[in-house]
Amino acid sequence: MTSVKAIFIKQAKDMTKNFSVLIMFIIFPLVAFGMTELVARGGMAGMSEYISDTMFVTMMASIFVGMALIQCACGIIAEDRETKSLRCLVIAGVKPHSYLLGIGGVVFTASLLTAIVFGLIARFERSDFLAFMLIMASGTIASILLGATVGIFSKNQQAAAGLSMPLAMILGFGPMVAQFNYNVGRVFSIFYTQQINVLVNDFSAGITEPLIVIWANIAVFAVLFAIAYKKKGLRN
Amino acid sequence: MIKMTNVKKAFGTQTVLSDVTFEARAREIFGLLGPSGAGKTTIINILTNQLDADSGAHGIDVSAYETGMMLDEDGLYTRLSCMDNLCIFTDIYGIPRLKAKEALKKVGLADASNKAVSKLSKGMRQRLALARAILHNPKVLFLDEPTSGLDPNSAQSIRTLIETLRNQGSTIFLTTHNMEEAVKLCDYVVLLNRGKIVEQGAPEEICNRHNSYKTVPDLESVFIEVTGEQFCAYENETGIGRFKIAPSA
Ligand SMILES: Nc1ncnc2c1ncn2[C@@H]1O[C@H](COP(=O)(O)OP(=O)(O)OP(=O)(O)O)[C@@H](O)[C@H]1O
Ligand SMILES: [Mg+2]
Repeated sequence: MTSVKAIFIKQAKDMTKNFSVLIMFIIFPLVAFGMTELVARGGMAGMSEYISDTMFVTMMASIFVGMALIQCACGIIAEDRETKSLRCLVIAGVKPHSYLLGIGGVVFTASLLTAIVFGLIARFERSDFLAFMLIMASGTIASILLGATVGIFSKNQQAAAGLSMPLAMILGFGPMVAQFNYNVGRVFSIFYTQQINVLVNDFSAGITEPLIVIWANIAVFAVLFAIAYKKKGLRN
Repeated sequence: MIKMTNVKKAFGTQTVLSDVTFEARAREIFGLLGPSGAGKTTIINILTNQLDADSGAHGIDVSAYETGMMLDEDGLYTRLSCMDNLCIFTDIYGIPRLKAKEALKKVGLADASNKAVSKLSKGMRQRLALARAILHNPKVLFLDEPTSGLDPNSAQSIRTLIETLRNQGSTIFLTTHNMEEAVKLCDYVVLLNRGKIVEQGAPEEICNRHNSYKTVPDLESVFIEVTGEQFCAYENETGIGRFKIAPSA
């Protein structure tokens, strides 16, 4: 537990000084805010009739969870691996789950704060707000685990970016393609990003079933992470 | 205290260690000497369980918690300050943060305590890595080339610190290219060349054995005698005091 806290503090301090990571948590809500106020609510060129008030928020939120977070978690771990700072932690007796909880805890907290900002921009009703937060929290956990797995497999940050970028693109943009293509939608429905996209767009359809899919994804990623850890270790 | 018996290690087809056997006793400064590529870091990695040996046995008499390490790559968090870097580890070890301050003082970095690691010189980073290694007063300390790349004054203060730690009861396992340093500092040395131990013993004893005593014990000539190869110094932009191996004439 002391290790988790130590890693959490380290990561929180480091993140405030790491602009390339910090920007991801700011840019998505910022763009969502701009588009919502200017286009959806601002009545820009009469577009607001066709666009719901929450459309841009849900779009940016699902790209944020499905894309930015994977790369963020992956980048942090790959950097720690590349600089050998991770090796120092392992030598000091830090267990992999402590490390993951510490790093993941910071990313999770930052992500929840971002989700609150998204929710405020969308001006969700109370119950919708809670549902939205629940979905974002679940998606965040899935993305952190997936990103961590890719990060552990990568020798350095470049390799990590090369691997996480296409993965994030597919998972992040797939759901958008799925909105226009039924077959793509069916294939993607097994992935958590698709479920998040469906959910944040329409809470009324019931959130239980999609949440089950998301948590099934989380379970698979957790197993993948455990295997990755065993194979690659956090060493060297 | 630290033991290795018949250890073999190969990376692919390249044999890096062949039949390495030695023992470092408690409360001594044990020096592992050899030219670049001899396998020194590989031995440390095996002893500290970062790497598996192909065969043979090895062990340390204290728990992982009671060992400290300064490795060939410092593994510092560059965006964080010196103090923050150390505090991560005081927290992990569950010791007071005051220890971090003490350690910074010991390595002469008290003034740089709030400086970001990315703004430190190479020598300062090295001293910070040493401070991190001694934070929790470990019983066994592994130091991979603790003085390489340091100016003579800093190197000397590091050597003084190492001696102090030994006198306080720590066992120190260090590697170096620097024969002169080894003679001054080490109680026992192992000369390693291309993954084989070519000589071992107390520095003076080795030099006596090989009649290589001129004015001071001269380990370097012993090395040349037993391997037919040369440790030769060269100077370049990375500084004086690094050595590379050259074929004997
Ligand atoms: N992970 C690895 N994969 C392949 N070869 C390796 C690996 N690590 C080390 N080697 C090889 O093993 C040999 C010994 O390396 P090692 O790092 O132990 O040398 P060293 O004595 O520490 O050298 P230096 O004084 O330059 O630090 C070298 O020839 C090196 O190329
Ligand atoms: Mg080395």
